[in-house]
Amino acid sequence: MRTTVLRPTVLHHPAPKRSIAPVFWLLFGAGGMLSALFGPALIILTGFMLPHGWGVPASFSDFPHVLAFVHHPIGKLLVLAVIALFFWHGAERLFLTLKDMRAGPLLVLRLLTYGVAALLTLVTIALLLAIGF
Amino acid sequence: MSERRPFHRQQARRWWAHKPYLAYTVRELSGVAVALYGAILLAGLICLWRGPEAYADFQRILRSDGAFAVHLVLLAAVLWHVVTWFQILPKTMPKLILGGRQVPQRQVTAIALLVAMVCSAALLVVVVAIGAMS
Repeated sequence: MRTTVLRPTVLHHPAPKRSIAPVFWLLFGAGGMLSALFGPALIILTGFMLPHGWGVPASFSDFPHVLAFVHHPIGKLLVLAVIALFFWHGAERLFLTLKDMRAGPLLVLRLLTYGVAALLTLVTIALLLAIGF
Repeated sequence: MSERRPFHRQQARRWWAHKPYLAYTVRELSGVAVALYGAILLAGLICLWRGPEAYADFQRILRSDGAFAVHLVLLAAVLWHVVTWFQILPKTMPKLILGGRQVPQRQVTAIALLVAMVCSAALLVVVVAIGAMS
Protein backbone atom coordinates (compact mmCIF):
# COMPACT_ATOMS: atom_id res chain seq x y z
CA MET A 1 0.00 0.00 0.00
CA ARG A 2 1.35 3.37 -1.01
CA THR A 3 1.33 6.21 1.41
CA THR A 4 1.67 9.78 0.58
CA VAL A 5 3.40 12.20 2.80
CA LEU A 6 1.53 15.43 3.10
CA ARG A 7 3.97 18.27 2.96
CA PRO A 8 3.01 21.77 3.85
CA THR A 9 2.28 23.60 0.66
CA VAL A 10 4.72 26.34 -0.09
CA LEU A 11 3.30 29.03 -2.31
CA HIS A 12 5.86 30.65 -4.45
CA HIS A 13 4.98 34.25 -5.11
CA PRO A 14 7.10 35.73 -7.83
CA ALA A 15 8.90 38.85 -6.64
CA PRO A 16 6.75 41.85 -7.53
CA LYS A 17 8.04 43.72 -10.53
CA ARG A 18 9.94 46.76 -9.45
CA SER A 19 8.49 50.05 -10.59
CA ILE A 20 10.34 53.34 -10.91
CA ALA A 21 7.10 55.29 -10.37
CA PRO A 22 8.03 56.07 -6.70
CA VAL A 23 11.08 58.01 -7.92
CA PHE A 24 8.83 60.32 -9.94
CA TRP A 25 6.40 60.61 -7.05
CA LEU A 26 9.23 61.56 -4.70
CA LEU A 27 10.44 64.32 -7.07
CA PHE A 28 6.83 65.45 -7.61
CA GLY A 29 6.18 65.59 -3.86
CA ALA A 30 9.45 67.38 -3.08
CA GLY A 31 8.77 70.00 -5.77
CA GLY A 32 5.17 70.41 -4.62
CA MET A 33 6.16 70.91 -1.00
CA LEU A 34 9.06 73.27 -1.79
CA SER A 35 6.84 75.41 -4.04
CA ALA A 36 3.97 75.34 -1.54
CA LEU A 37 6.19 76.56 1.29
CA PHE A 38 8.40 79.07 -0.52
CA GLY A 39 6.91 79.49 -4.04
CA PRO A 40 4.86 82.68 -3.40
CA ALA A 41 7.84 84.39 -1.69
CA LEU A 42 10.20 83.36 -4.50
CA ILE A 43 7.91 84.81 -7.17
CA ILE A 44 7.43 88.06 -5.21
CA LEU A 45 11.20 88.24 -4.73
CA THR A 46 12.48 87.48 -8.25
CA GLY A 47 9.43 88.81 -10.12
CA PHE A 48 8.78 92.09 -8.31
CA MET A 49 11.20 93.03 -5.51
CA LEU A 50 14.59 92.29 -7.09
CA PRO A 51 13.93 93.65 -10.64
CA HIS A 52 12.42 96.90 -9.32
CA GLY A 53 14.54 97.25 -6.18
CA TRP A 54 11.49 97.25 -3.90
CA GLY A 55 12.53 96.69 -0.27
CA VAL A 56 15.99 95.45 -1.29
CA PRO A 57 19.07 97.34 -2.54
CA ALA A 58 18.99 97.72 -6.34
CA SER A 59 22.48 96.21 -6.48
CA PHE A 60 21.12 92.82 -5.22
CA SER A 61 19.97 91.78 -8.67
CA ASP A 62 23.02 93.04 -10.62
CA PHE A 63 25.44 90.72 -12.38
CA PRO A 64 28.28 90.52 -9.77
CA HIS A 65 25.90 89.86 -6.85
CA VAL A 66 23.92 87.13 -8.60
CA LEU A 67 27.13 85.60 -9.98
CA ALA A 68 28.62 85.50 -6.46
CA PHE A 69 25.44 83.78 -5.20
CA VAL A 70 25.62 81.14 -7.93
CA HIS A 71 29.40 80.70 -7.42
CA HIS A 72 28.80 79.59 -3.84
CA PRO A 73 28.15 75.83 -3.42
CA ILE A 74 25.07 76.46 -1.23
CA GLY A 75 23.74 78.96 -3.78
CA LYS A 76 24.27 76.36 -6.51
CA LEU A 77 22.36 73.72 -4.52
CA LEU A 78 19.46 76.11 -3.86
CA VAL A 79 19.23 77.10 -7.54
CA LEU A 80 19.37 73.46 -8.64
CA ALA A 81 16.77 72.35 -6.05
CA VAL A 82 14.30 75.07 -7.00
CA ILE A 83 14.62 74.78 -10.80
CA ALA A 84 14.85 70.97 -11.07
CA LEU A 85 12.20 70.08 -8.48
CA PHE A 86 9.77 72.68 -9.89
CA PHE A 87 10.20 71.11 -13.33
CA TRP A 88 9.64 67.57 -12.00
CA HIS A 89 6.54 68.72 -10.14
CA GLY A 90 5.03 70.29 -13.25
CA ALA A 91 6.04 67.29 -15.37
CA GLU A 92 4.22 64.79 -13.14
CA ARG A 93 1.05 66.89 -13.03
CA LEU A 94 1.08 67.55 -16.77
CA PHE A 95 1.74 63.87 -17.55
CA LEU A 96 -1.14 62.58 -15.40
CA THR A 97 -3.53 65.24 -16.74
CA LEU A 98 -2.64 64.57 -20.39
CA LYS A 99 -2.91 60.81 -19.70
CA ASP A 100 -6.42 61.32 -18.30
CA MET A 101 -7.29 63.47 -21.32
CA ARG A 102 -6.00 60.63 -23.56
CA ALA A 103 -3.97 63.27 -25.37
CA GLY A 104 -1.66 60.78 -27.07
CA PRO A 105 0.45 57.62 -26.76
CA LEU A 106 1.94 57.24 -23.27
CA LEU A 107 5.50 57.10 -24.57
CA VAL A 108 5.07 60.46 -26.30
CA LEU A 109 3.49 61.98 -23.18
CA ARG A 110 6.32 60.63 -21.00
CA LEU A 111 8.95 62.10 -23.32
CA LEU A 112 7.13 65.46 -23.39
CA THR A 113 6.91 65.68 -19.59
CA TYR A 114 9.48 63.52 -17.74
CA GLY A 115 11.82 63.73 -20.74
CA VAL A 116 11.78 67.53 -20.78
CA ALA A 117 12.18 67.68 -16.98
CA ALA A 118 15.16 65.31 -17.12
CA LEU A 119 16.76 67.25 -19.98
CA LEU A 120 16.31 70.63 -18.27
CA THR A 121 17.69 69.20 -15.00
CA LEU A 122 20.84 68.16 -16.86
CA VAL A 123 21.03 71.59 -18.55
CA THR A 124 20.76 73.29 -15.12
CA ILE A 125 23.54 71.09 -13.68
CA ALA A 126 25.73 71.76 -16.73
CA LEU A 127 25.18 75.54 -16.47
CA LEU A 128 25.94 75.59 -12.74
CA LEU A 129 29.18 73.68 -13.37
CA ALA A 130 30.07 75.86 -16.39
CA ILE A 131 29.58 79.04 -14.33
CA GLY A 132 32.17 77.60 -11.94
CA PHE A 133 32.94 78.01 -8.25
CA MET B 1 -19.93 31.33 -28.54
CA SER B 2 -20.98 34.62 -27.15
CA GLU B 3 -19.02 37.63 -28.14
CA ARG B 4 -17.47 39.79 -25.46
CA ARG B 5 -19.29 43.11 -25.36
CA PRO B 6 -17.90 45.21 -22.52
CA PHE B 7 -19.89 48.21 -21.37
CA HIS B 8 -18.36 51.56 -22.27
CA ARG B 9 -19.71 54.49 -20.34
CA GLN B 10 -20.33 57.55 -22.44
CA GLN B 11 -17.89 60.35 -21.72
CA ALA B 12 -17.87 63.83 -23.15
CA ARG B 13 -14.86 64.46 -25.36
CA ARG B 14 -13.79 67.49 -23.37
CA TRP B 15 -14.94 66.25 -19.95
CA TRP B 16 -12.00 68.01 -18.28
CA ALA B 17 -13.35 71.44 -19.28
CA HIS B 18 -16.69 70.89 -17.51
CA LYS B 19 -17.86 70.64 -13.93
CA PRO B 20 -17.11 68.79 -11.70
CA TYR B 21 -13.81 67.89 -13.39
CA LEU B 22 -12.84 71.51 -14.12
CA ALA B 23 -11.64 71.96 -10.53
CA TYR B 24 -9.29 68.98 -11.01
CA THR B 25 -7.96 70.38 -14.30
CA VAL B 26 -7.33 73.83 -12.81
CA ARG B 27 -5.60 72.29 -9.79
CA GLU B 28 -3.30 70.19 -11.95
CA LEU B 29 -2.46 73.09 -14.26
CA SER B 30 -1.64 75.30 -11.25
CA GLY B 31 1.15 72.77 -10.65
CA VAL B 32 2.35 73.36 -14.21
CA ALA B 33 2.65 77.10 -13.37
CA VAL B 34 5.30 76.05 -10.83
CA ALA B 35 7.32 74.55 -13.69
CA LEU B 36 6.84 77.70 -15.83
CA TYR B 37 8.31 79.78 -13.02
CA GLY B 38 11.25 77.33 -12.94
CA ALA B 39 11.68 78.01 -16.67
CA ILE B 40 12.00 81.78 -16.00
CA LEU B 41 14.70 81.09 -13.41
CA LEU B 42 16.48 78.77 -15.88
CA ALA B 43 16.36 81.52 -18.52
CA GLY B 44 18.02 83.84 -16.00
CA LEU B 45 20.69 81.22 -15.29
CA ILE B 46 21.41 80.86 -19.02
CA CYS B 47 21.79 84.66 -19.31
CA LEU B 48 24.06 84.69 -16.25
CA TRP B 49 26.26 82.04 -17.90
CA ARG B 50 26.41 83.97 -21.21
CA GLY B 51 27.76 87.09 -19.51
CA PRO B 52 26.98 90.61 -18.28
CA GLU B 53 25.33 91.80 -21.52
CA ALA B 54 22.92 88.87 -21.79
CA TYR B 55 22.17 89.21 -18.07
CA ALA B 56 21.41 92.94 -18.51
CA ASP B 57 18.90 91.99 -21.23
CA PHE B 58 17.29 89.51 -18.84
CA GLN B 59 17.02 92.21 -16.17
CA ARG B 60 15.48 94.63 -18.69
CA ILE B 61 12.86 92.05 -19.68
CA LEU B 62 12.04 91.34 -16.01
CA ARG B 63 11.39 95.08 -15.48
CA SER B 64 8.93 95.21 -18.42
CA ASP B 65 5.16 95.41 -17.96
CA GLY B 66 4.72 92.07 -19.73
CA ALA B 67 6.98 90.27 -17.27
CA PHE B 68 5.16 92.01 -14.40
CA ALA B 69 1.80 90.70 -15.70
CA VAL B 70 3.22 87.19 -16.25
CA HIS B 71 4.52 87.10 -12.68
CA LEU B 72 1.13 88.27 -11.35
CA VAL B 73 -0.58 85.38 -13.17
CA LEU B 74 2.07 82.93 -11.95
CA LEU B 75 1.69 84.22 -8.38
CA ALA B 76 -2.09 83.70 -8.50
CA ALA B 77 -1.64 80.18 -9.92
CA VAL B 78 0.99 79.24 -7.34
CA LEU B 79 -1.19 80.60 -4.50
CA TRP B 80 -3.97 78.29 -5.76
CA HIS B 81 -1.39 75.48 -5.89
CA VAL B 82 -0.52 76.20 -2.24
CA VAL B 83 -4.19 76.07 -1.13
CA THR B 84 -5.02 72.87 -3.06
CA TRP B 85 -1.70 71.21 -2.11
CA PHE B 86 -2.55 71.48 1.57
CA GLN B 87 -6.18 70.47 0.96
CA ILE B 88 -4.79 67.21 -0.46
CA LEU B 89 -2.20 66.80 2.32
CA PRO B 90 -4.56 65.34 5.02
CA LYS B 91 -5.93 62.88 2.43
CA THR B 92 -2.50 61.52 1.53
CA MET B 93 -0.86 61.36 4.97
CA PRO B 94 -1.67 58.87 7.75
CA LYS B 95 -4.48 59.85 10.12
CA LEU B 96 -3.20 62.37 12.64
CA ILE B 97 -4.37 61.32 16.10
CA LEU B 98 -3.70 63.63 19.03
CA GLY B 99 -4.96 62.85 22.55
CA GLY B 100 -7.02 59.89 21.29
CA ARG B 101 -8.91 62.03 18.76
CA GLN B 102 -8.41 62.29 15.05
CA VAL B 103 -7.46 65.79 13.99
CA PRO B 104 -10.07 66.92 11.41
CA GLN B 105 -8.81 67.29 7.83
CA ARG B 106 -9.80 70.96 7.73
CA GLN B 107 -7.64 71.63 10.76
CA VAL B 108 -4.60 69.87 9.21
CA THR B 109 -5.07 72.04 6.09
CA ALA B 110 -5.37 75.22 8.17
CA ILE B 111 -2.23 74.49 10.19
CA ALA B 112 -0.24 73.58 7.06
CA LEU B 113 -1.37 76.79 5.33
CA LEU B 114 -0.25 78.78 8.37
CA VAL B 115 3.17 77.06 8.27
CA ALA B 116 3.44 77.86 4.54
CA MET B 117 2.63 81.53 5.11
CA VAL B 118 5.23 81.71 7.89
CA CYS B 119 7.85 80.09 5.60
CA SER B 120 7.20 82.47 2.71
CA ALA B 121 7.06 85.54 5.00
CA ALA B 122 10.27 84.45 6.76
CA LEU B 123 12.13 84.18 3.43
CA LEU B 124 11.08 87.70 2.44
CA VAL B 125 11.95 89.10 5.90
CA VAL B 126 15.42 87.46 5.80
CA VAL B 127 16.17 88.91 2.34
CA VAL B 128 14.94 92.40 3.33
CA ALA B 129 16.96 92.21 6.58
CA ILE B 130 20.14 91.22 4.70
CA GLY B 131 19.49 94.12 2.32
CA ALA B 132 19.02 96.57 5.18
CA MET B 133 22.23 95.43 6.90
CA SER B 134 24.41 95.54 3.78
